Amino acid sequence: MMLDRRRLLTSALTLGAMHAFPGLSLAQARPLVFATFTGSWEEAHKAVLVPAFRKANADAAIVLDPMLSVDQIAKVNAAKANPPIDVMLHDPGPALVAIGQDLVEPFPADKSAYFKDLIPEAQDAMGPAPFFQVVGLTYNPETVKTPPTSWADLWKPEFKGKVGITNLNSTLGTGWLVEIARMRGGSEANVDEGFKALEELKPNLAAVAANPGALATLFQQGQIDISPGNFNAIQILKARGVPVEFVAPKEGAIAFKTTIHIVKNSPNKELAFKLIEAALSPEVQTILMNSPYLIVPTNTKVAMTGEIAKVLAKDTAELKKKFVFQDWKKINEQRASWIEKFNRDIKI
Amino acid sequence: MKSATTAPGDVTSFSLGLALPLGLVFAIFFVLPLAQLLFLSLHNDTAATVWGLGQYVKFLTDPFSLAVLGSTLLLGAEVTLACLVLGYPIAWLYQRSGSRVQTLIIMIVLLPLLTSVVVRTFAWIVILGRQGIINSVLQSLGLIGTPLRMIYTQGGLVAALAQVQMPLMVLPLITAIGRIDPNLSDASASLGAGSWRTFVKVMLPLSMPGIIAGCTLTYAAAITAFITQSLVGGGQMLFMPMYLYQQASTLQNWPFAAAISIIFLFAVLAIVALFSTLGRRARGYGDAR
Repeated sequence: MMLDRRRLLTSALTLGAMHAFPGLSLAQARPLVFATFTGSWEEAHKAVLVPAFRKANADAAIVLDPMLSVDQIAKVNAAKANPPIDVMLHDPGPALVAIGQDLVEPFPADKSAYFKDLIPEAQDAMGPAPFFQVVGLTYNPETVKTPPTSWADLWKPEFKGKVGITNLNSTLGTGWLVEIARMRGGSEANVDEGFKALEELKPNLAAVAANPGALATLFQQGQIDISPGNFNAIQILKARGVPVEFVAPKEGAIAFKTTIHIVKNSPNKELAFKLIEAALSPEVQTILMNSPYLIVPTNTKVAMTGEIAKVLAKDTAELKKKFVFQDWKKINEQRASWIEKFNRDIKI
Repeated sequence: MKSATTAPGDVTSFSLGLALPLGLVFAIFFVLPLAQLLFLSLHNDTAATVWGLGQYVKFLTDPFSLAVLGSTLLLGAEVTLACLVLGYPIAWLYQRSGSRVQTLIIMIVLLPLLTSVVVRTFAWIVILGRQGIINSVLQSLGLIGTPLRMIYTQGGLVAALAQVQMPLMVLPLITAIGRIDPNLSDASASLGAGSWRTFVKVMLPLSMPGIIAGCTLTYAAAITAFITQSLVGGGQMLFMPMYLYQQASTLQNWPFAAAISIIFLFAVLAIVALFSTLGRRARGYGDAR
């Protein structure tokens, strides 16, 4: 075909019009769009979950759209009637926001082959949890000779100027604040004790990172020696040769459900359900549990092995004993005021 | 310049139609979203159903919010000043050097623009860190016992931002200084002015357009540099971009976030207007002599 100027112009204008008026292409079926998290999650889902889904569904077209939970909510909110995403992935806080704003479809649990095999905490009617994220203590084994055992160890005088935390923008930061409040007799409804504890932690604080990613790099720089940290993030650092270890504190490691949801008004509901089924299946979860992904499984049929069995739990019973789950509905009610208080009070 | 001959009217007047495509792009992708932002900010509740000025009242009556705004504007001023003081001599040197040195200078100035902001920012974390270059050099020289705290401090942040934004200051300065007729400084010297006097009375006023352009660009870039601010400044130093992000993303409080942006926008516009007024004054002063 010759590309003369007129034809080029025509196609350019058509393409432009299609972008300006997306309704024009509505009649066409679009591939399933799965909004996952960026970074290691995207890698894991691209390498394991997507191939498993395509194998089970006659090579159905699927697109990964990696972004933060809050951005997923914004994107779906902007086009509720014709959402650009079919499947969303959420931390507990944003999940409740998405459900509260009526953006997700209830999960058809009775159709699911795996839902009943999930541990009870992961069986959520609005969207099951195929993965857990776990927060415990991370430390540099070269400088911290005796491994910490409790959140309270962060206050030890020997860690003066060596402790790192994140602010409350992240699930990690907020969840940890609740946990130290709980350690001192508070709860999700009352974190005053947590803020008092933070005040006492100030001499030990070397850094308040803006996000969990920045916190991880501080270990690489030798800027901090100990911090509350995310299991997966630490394993990635460790794999790159950074001296860093993870321990579950005796108070219990904080477990966050990562829930997966069918977006309301999705034109691909059936495929969306199939993708979630693939994520819940023991086959996919078994692969994701192993190196290099090390994602904590939620399906009780998955036998725990490897690093997860060594550091976290050998089976579901032990996992439930060692993990603490938090009430994010209560947390969300007051999170704005906590963030405000943190902004005002925490200056180091 | 006033000495230049004015071109005939028919050559310089073009049809406004030529500006139409860009005007349209601006209207759709800039004015419209801005109007939407303003609309959103005029709601009292997070779901944007109740009209009112509540978000603005909340911001403007809260000493904490005002302090965040103040520290952001101050940060911009510090970075701009650092860029001007360090950038002017480089631009000056550029105009006084041979072509070989000029190429070298332009390379060094442009180099930061060719690397991603994230990479440059991480480089600063490496430089300023507890076991970073500065600390290890000072420690090995025996000048300090314990490492200095530089990362996550205002000073460290200003240094990092100044380096990152330096090209935005130097490039307009090079252009402006290059436009000054070299004969003017010779004339000033032959009339008996010392080099300092020549600089202050002749060169500085004539390079004012470059200074204003550079300051405006540097200022705007420094106060909105979300990545550098959060990575080098850390999670406990709160500036407007992070404040905005927190309200919009973490808390989903879009009306308040919108109000923050509008207030921020007007504060910055006011500063920029101030820059150009000051600049015009100074130029008038220069012309008068």
